Amino acid sequence: MEAVLEQVEQLPALLAVSRSALVRDWDSLTLDRALEWTRYFQHLHNRFRTRPRLREALGRRLRRGQPGPLLSFPQLGRCPQLLGLALLENRALPPAACHRLLHSLLQPAAAEVGPEPRSLVLLARRKAASRLLALPRGLPRPLEGMEPQLQAEAQLLLSRLREEGQEVEPAGEAAERLRWLSGVLEQLPQPRAFEVVAAALLLLRRGSAAEQAGGRGRDGSSLDGNQASAAGEECVAGPLLSWLLGSLERFSAFCLCLPGSLLASLAGHYSQLSRPYLDLLTVWGCHLLYDPLQGRWVKSCLDKAQLSWEELRERFSCLCQGSALLRGQTQAALKLLKAQDGDFKVRGLSVWTDVLMEVEESLRKEAEC
Amino acid sequence: MAQHTTVPKLNFEYWLDKAIEWGQATTLESQKDMCLHLPQLQEFLHQIYETLKHMDSIVAIQQFPLIGQLLGRLCWNPFVIGYDESQKTLMWCLCCLYSSEPQNPVELKANSWIRSLLCHLLSSSKWESNDDESNTFTSTLGYTSADYYCHLVKNMVFSLVTELKGNQFNGLNIQGRVSASRVNAVSLFCLPLITLPDLTSLLETLLLYHGGASKEILSSEFLETVNEAFLKKKISLPESAVFNLWLRHPPSLEKATLYLLDQLVSIQLNSLEEVACVIKESLLPEAAIHPAIFRIVNEIFKNALRETSGTPEIMTIIQMFIQLFLQAHQNENKQHKFPLKAYFPYHHQPLVTALLRCPFGLPTTHWSQHLKHISDTLKAFVEDTNISSPADLFEIWFLVACFGEWLDIAAEQLLKAAVEPDALLWLLAFYYCPQNENQQRTQTMVEAQSVYSRLMMLFSCTVLSVKDLEAAVHSIIDVEQCSNQHLIVHLLTNFLLFSSGGHTIAQEFIYHITETTDRSKEVCSILIRTAYRINRIGKEDQSTVKLLNELLQKLTLKV
Repeated sequence: MEAVLEQVEQLPALLAVSRSALVRDWDSLTLDRALEWTRYFQHLHNRFRTRPRLREALGRRLRRGQPGPLLSFPQLGRCPQLLGLALLENRALPPAACHRLLHSLLQPAAAEVGPEPRSLVLLARRKAASRLLALPRGLPRPLEGMEPQLQAEAQLLLSRLREEGQEVEPAGEAAERLRWLSGVLEQLPQPRAFEVVAAALLLLRRGSAAEQAGGRGRDGSSLDGNQASAAGEECVAGPLLSWLLGSLERFSAFCLCLPGSLLASLAGHYSQLSRPYLDLLTVWGCHLLYDPLQGRWVKSCLDKAQLSWEELRERFSCLCQGSALLRGQTQAALKLLKAQDGDFKVRGLSVWTDVLMEVEESLRKEAEC
Repeated sequence: MAQHTTVPKLNFEYWLDKAIEWGQATTLESQKDMCLHLPQLQEFLHQIYETLKHMDSIVAIQQFPLIGQLLGRLCWNPFVIGYDESQKTLMWCLCCLYSSEPQNPVELKANSWIRSLLCHLLSSSKWESNDDESNTFTSTLGYTSADYYCHLVKNMVFSLVTELKGNQFNGLNIQGRVSASRVNAVSLFCLPLITLPDLTSLLETLLLYHGGASKEILSSEFLETVNEAFLKKKISLPESAVFNLWLRHPPSLEKATLYLLDQLVSIQLNSLEEVACVIKESLLPEAAIHPAIFRIVNEIFKNALRETSGTPEIMTIIQMFIQLFLQAHQNENKQHKFPLKAYFPYHHQPLVTALLRCPFGLPTTHWSQHLKHISDTLKAFVEDTNISSPADLFEIWFLVACFGEWLDIAAEQLLKAAVEPDALLWLLAFYYCPQNENQQRTQTMVEAQSVYSRLMMLFSCTVLSVKDLEAAVHSIIDVEQCSNQHLIVHLLTNFLLFSSGGHTIAQEFIYHITETTDRSKEVCSILIRTAYRINRIGKEDQSTVKLLNELLQKLTLKV
């Protein structure tokens, strides 16, 4: 067993090399050996998948194997594809080795050997499908549906977090996992990373809601068929929330760049987020000043006040359109702020009086409709 | 799909021109043209691959100077890459062109170009800068572009399905409406992807989508291709989707019906159970619960029967279809289903009602009485009302023929039960000789009566020879009118099956008939139908069952 563990420990290094310039020294024999190794790892995955203790041992070794990306047990099963595609994209791979790679990945003779070549054909077809299905122009997509690309990234993130969650977590690795998550999310430009995290959090809730409703309506958005329990979902949401709330600067950038409706629905689903979000809105609101000449609230100083009056009002009214619980919490917060400012009942004296009046008015209008 | 133009072998110029044209134009016409040519192009790519696989890459490029340009352009065309197996063949061709030992800068450049094309096909790659971040993100997570596109396509399908379904429900909400042209475009862009399993729910939604317009909004190319893929079992669809396809697109229904007929005629079938199985699999009997579908299918059957001048196999298929349709209709639980009579609106309703009685819903002792009722009703209708045109007569005859099980039972009852023969014989005479302009039917009737009485005389003989039986029918078998011969064969076959004397000479006699005449198919059809009926009742004499099986085994080997 120790021998197997030592072999597995080499995998991260192998994958790292496949993405590096070091492959320029590979000949066709090296390539064959590398592919054989990946098939062997895939075989190990199939053999040990249902044996938790061996899984755990392999997983620990994979984590130890550095340098390279953080890997865990499920990646063993995807090994041939991970290596094959990494090599295909690596320009440093010399012609002879590349010739061998193409033939073993794509040629008809290879098609009978393993499941990978067929799945590469399927991949090409799906990529074309994604183009074709995006072609018909017409109405914009429905608002509540998120962009499919974003959703796909969020689904991958979730399914990796789930895989991680299934691994037995030794003490002290939570911090490491959070570091890893930060590293992964840094691969994306900031607004995108925020959008992906928000989408992932929403998908989690949507998934569990659909499950409660008998699992209907999930077929299209099902997340890899990984139907984890509610407790399991919490350990997926946990790292994402920790990442968001771990730095005030990050959380504030997050709340600033996403639309109010999305934030409100997140706050409605995750009570951990609603308080910090309201606190942030309070800080932003305090930076607004009333300009009696213009008769409206303006930013006091361009650096600090990050939301305009209109944006602030919009965010609060989104919060009040959510669940009764969230509406109650928001209105209570606003009333408290209003009281702290002197409980004025006319406009232009406290920003909170004005926000509250606007919000209540729009709620009244809605009720009349 | 249209394949009118025959393209000369390895005509690179032709396809390069096409590829350039398709690459530039984004009009609906050019997209339709593309869809129409996809099967041919796939065939062409396959031919290229067959040529290239035995060739050195350098020689190949020298011999086919346009190959690079063509394959390169095709790689960027999502219709081509998305279609069926084209992407596979295209990638194989690229692999063949890759040189393992490039000798000069040109070959090096060619190699690099091939890799960039493959990356374009397989990854959200470095060659496409806009997707780069997503690619790094995916690989940092430990996934590949295969995982990413798997999710992406499912999401896109789900989103389109939601959009179309939402639109269907909010039919009145003008703002939320998807335009007809958008739905049409979606259907056209799905065409290359029909056999991709991820798309099943979208295909289903499109087929069930109507959108309130009176005109068909789905592209007809799409409908044709879905139908073809379904018939060839390349995809499986929910029944409701298939029925909707046939309802909204009659050419597809026609094709499905003809396909079923071809299928049944071309394979050797040994039992009606097999026929029933193939017909059921086609979903047509259940689809026919919709009267519009029933009418079209029935019309096609009628034409097939005319064109083959009433081949017994076709007749058997139609009778089986009607039986299965009646079963499906009975099993249908819908509240508002059409009454059976509605499927035969232009026929004499008392006759329809009589024929519609399922034989197995009646005690066997009532069969001859019911047959007499059918015969009397038919006779009164045909003889009293002045049906002069051959077309009208054909319609009545076809109706009777559709319920051929009653005719088989009539022939059987004549030889098995104590019946008053005339009404039953008349029914058979009508079936085999509907025309009576020159008293043909009257003549047939007279001959049938005479054969029948001779057969009845032989019925109780326990010792019987082929010669005796031949002598009994000989004088009549010679007559030139072939309708009589069919009738006599029908009676004779039943005599052999149900008389004790017949049993002893059945093998020999049938061998004799099939050797001296071309009647083996006809006899075979009668025996197959009898076996099917007996299996369903399950109360037949064991020696008859045994004989029947032996005869069938021998005959089906011969036919």
